[in-house]
Amino acid sequence: MIEVKNLTKSLPNGRKLLDGISFTVNKGEFVGILGASGAGKTLTVRCLNGLLKPDSGSVIVEDDQHVKRDICSISKRQLKKVREKIGMIFQGFHLVKRLTALDNVLIGRLGQINSLRSLVYGFTDKEAEEALSALEKVKIQHLAGARVSSMSGGEMQRVAIARAIFQNPTLLLADEPISNLDPSNAKNIMKLIQPLSKDMPVIGVFHQPEMTAKYCSRVIAIKAGRIIYDGDPKISDELLIEIYGEELRHLEANFFSEVPPVPITFTKTKTELHDRPNL
Amino acid sequence: MTGQTYNLKRYRKWVLPVLALAISVEGAALVCGANIRGLNRGLIQGFSFLGHMFPPDWSAFPEMLKPAVDTIIIAVLGTFFGTIISLGFGLAAASNISPRWLRRLTRGFIRIERALPEIIILLFLVAAFGLGPFGGVISLTIGCIGMLGKLFADAIEEIDPVSIEAIEALGASKIQVIVFGVLQPIIPSIISFALFRFELNIRLSVVLGAVGAGGIGLELYRSFSLLDYNKGLTCLIITLALVIITERFSEFLRSKVKLAGVLR
Amino acid sequence: MKEPLLYTLPSVRYRRKATVFALVVLVTVATCIYLGFDPLMLFTEFHYVVDLAGNMLPPNFDMFRTNNHVWWAILETISMAFLGTIFGGSIAFVFAFLAASNTMPVMAIRQVVRFCLALMRVIPYLVIILVFVVAIGLGPFAGMLTLVWATVGTFGQLFTQIIENIEPAPSEAISSIGASRVQVIRYSILPEIFPSFIANLLYSFDINMRAALALGIFGGGGIGFELYMAMRVLRYRDALALICFTIVLITIIEKLSDHLRKKVLGAGALK
Repeated sequence: MIEVKNLTKSLPNGRKLLDGISFTVNKGEFVGILGASGAGKTLTVRCLNGLLKPDSGSVIVEDDQHVKRDICSISKRQLKKVREKIGMIFQGFHLVKRLTALDNVLIGRLGQINSLRSLVYGFTDKEAEEALSALEKVKIQHLAGARVSSMSGGEMQRVAIARAIFQNPTLLLADEPISNLDPSNAKNIMKLIQPLSKDMPVIGVFHQPEMTAKYCSRVIAIKAGRIIYDGDPKISDELLIEIYGEELRHLEANFFSEVPPVPITFTKTKTELHDRPNL
Repeated sequence: MTGQTYNLKRYRKWVLPVLALAISVEGAALVCGANIRGLNRGLIQGFSFLGHMFPPDWSAFPEMLKPAVDTIIIAVLGTFFGTIISLGFGLAAASNISPRWLRRLTRGFIRIERALPEIIILLFLVAAFGLGPFGGVISLTIGCIGMLGKLFADAIEEIDPVSIEAIEALGASKIQVIVFGVLQPIIPSIISFALFRFELNIRLSVVLGAVGAGGIGLELYRSFSLLDYNKGLTCLIITLALVIITERFSEFLRSKVKLAGVLR
Repeated sequence: MKEPLLYTLPSVRYRRKATVFALVVLVTVATCIYLGFDPLMLFTEFHYVVDLAGNMLPPNFDMFRTNNHVWWAILETISMAFLGTIFGGSIAFVFAFLAASNTMPVMAIRQVVRFCLALMRVIPYLVIILVFVVAIGLGPFAGMLTLVWATVGTFGQLFTQIIENIEPAPSEAISSIGASRVQVIRYSILPEIFPSFIANLLYSFDINMRAALALGIFGGGGIGFELYMAMRVLRYRDALALICFTIVLITIIEKLSDHLRKKVLGAGALK
């Protein structure tokens, strides 16, 4: 369970980036946060695991032992302990490209194992087995020994999800996880994230309202630092325009217009590549 | 006619700079005592001297092997220790992981070190500890800091900050973040830069040898001082071989690093 | 049923890592012993450093007033570097055109020039200065010639690559309207590589200043020579003063060089 109360953050010149953001997410919910660029979505999510400190407000996270902690006001050491159980995936995946998929998943538990041991010895065989089962959950166990740099975007995001799963988290955060993926991969990733909400609250920032409509259990819309909607994921067109602005009306109109398709003909052009001239 | 005037006018802005350049060149030449006559005489003398150097003293080859090995080892140790130390400096000098005061201090130190030629460092070490390979290795080690420290720090600063945050966000301790978030991604760069520096260090090792660190550089200098020019040519040939082999070796390894992303 | 190898067990990897580490340590220690290099000497014999420091501090900046040689030596070093850069850069420039495949069609000439450039690059400057000192005598002239040689060696290949890496399109365009080779060079290649050339020249001045210092020790004259002499006659305080001045000088020149290079490269193709 995570309870966000009255998050506020302003720039030095007075402009409010976050203005009283409050919501609560429980286990079983998959929350999608929508909003235009700069509205405050990413800022909110980064406040949820302490990557960003708000000017005021609190973020209360409840762990497995039902202990509640306010992320905005705990010490660095406690924050580290809380973060061990918060999984996060990013738009840019942010894996260590040099290492194999398995190694990247193992990195997930860096916080939970002894620091010295992780540096000198590495990970145990048992942990490697568990990491492999995490990869199985995202269906790329066959790539366990492959370098991440050789993988496609969809595969990389799966490794990132496996890394988060491997933490055995009590909360999962996602910052635009499908924005860098093609539509088919995006769907697959959403299909992987959705069942995770059974065991923990999942909060994700998205730019794709059609995805949140299909896979999320709840949608929160943020505009100019304030929550303007919190409820059913199937949002109306008026709300969409409210979130993203008037331009969307024109875009939508052109996208699904009734114009008949223009026949395209390919003309062959002969390009002659001559050698570099002898000067 | 009009076309011609336009052409000339165009070059008018060159006149002053070219004049300034000519004057400074002339002045500098005067200071150095450079003159064409001296150069001509010198060239003739130089070529005849080169003639004296041939043929190389073949008998000296076997006894030159140990100094050559010494030179290589000095360069290898210097690069090895230098890379390790420079990693520390690089971490301390990177803006994304180092507190501001530490970063400024370290960058300043690196800049000062860069201004110090390794030979000068060796002079001091010889004054303190005497002749021998000790000074050579230490001065090469310290010399690495200027170049590698800066290169490492720049490479670290180029890492996407969110990548580092991602490791922080899963609760890793600061050291773990540095090892897995900063060092692991740049290992190919580290190896590449170190190999590049190694090429440089071999040349330096030869020169430092002449100033007192031992090795083939010392033999080279000694033969020239004793007017044993044939032996000098032998040393020169060995030196050339060293430099060329090192360059090929370094290039080969660096290309492999680029391809494989290397080392587990 | 044989399953394909998915990954290597961490315990196996650890064993490999540990073996490699142990080997590296062993080899390092062995070579240190072979060479007679005892890194601990840095700490056990540290009193030598302290002694030296005691002798060196405070630096004797007075010498800049009393010793007339010094200012002349500074001038010598700067002049050496300056001339080395100008002449070396010019020669490297010409050689580069002779060695680049898009400006020199005759392969034989290209090979010869490239061979010369490679030779000039590979021979350590120590040897060059020794030869020049024998041929011309001690002093900054020999040092300057060595720098010319070294600059051609370092930058000849670089310039060749720069020339070869330009886009062929502008040159093709100009030659296609009937320009001669020289005209193509003058109007399309030169303007394009000029900023790069100037930037490298400035960088080479920076390098040559440091090299000029080192050459002074081997008979090249200038500050390096003064420094070496000062240390030989145990005038350590003078030596430290010279070093401080040198560091300041090199830092200023480096900043100047960087600043000018940014202006040149930032302005794009000039003239």
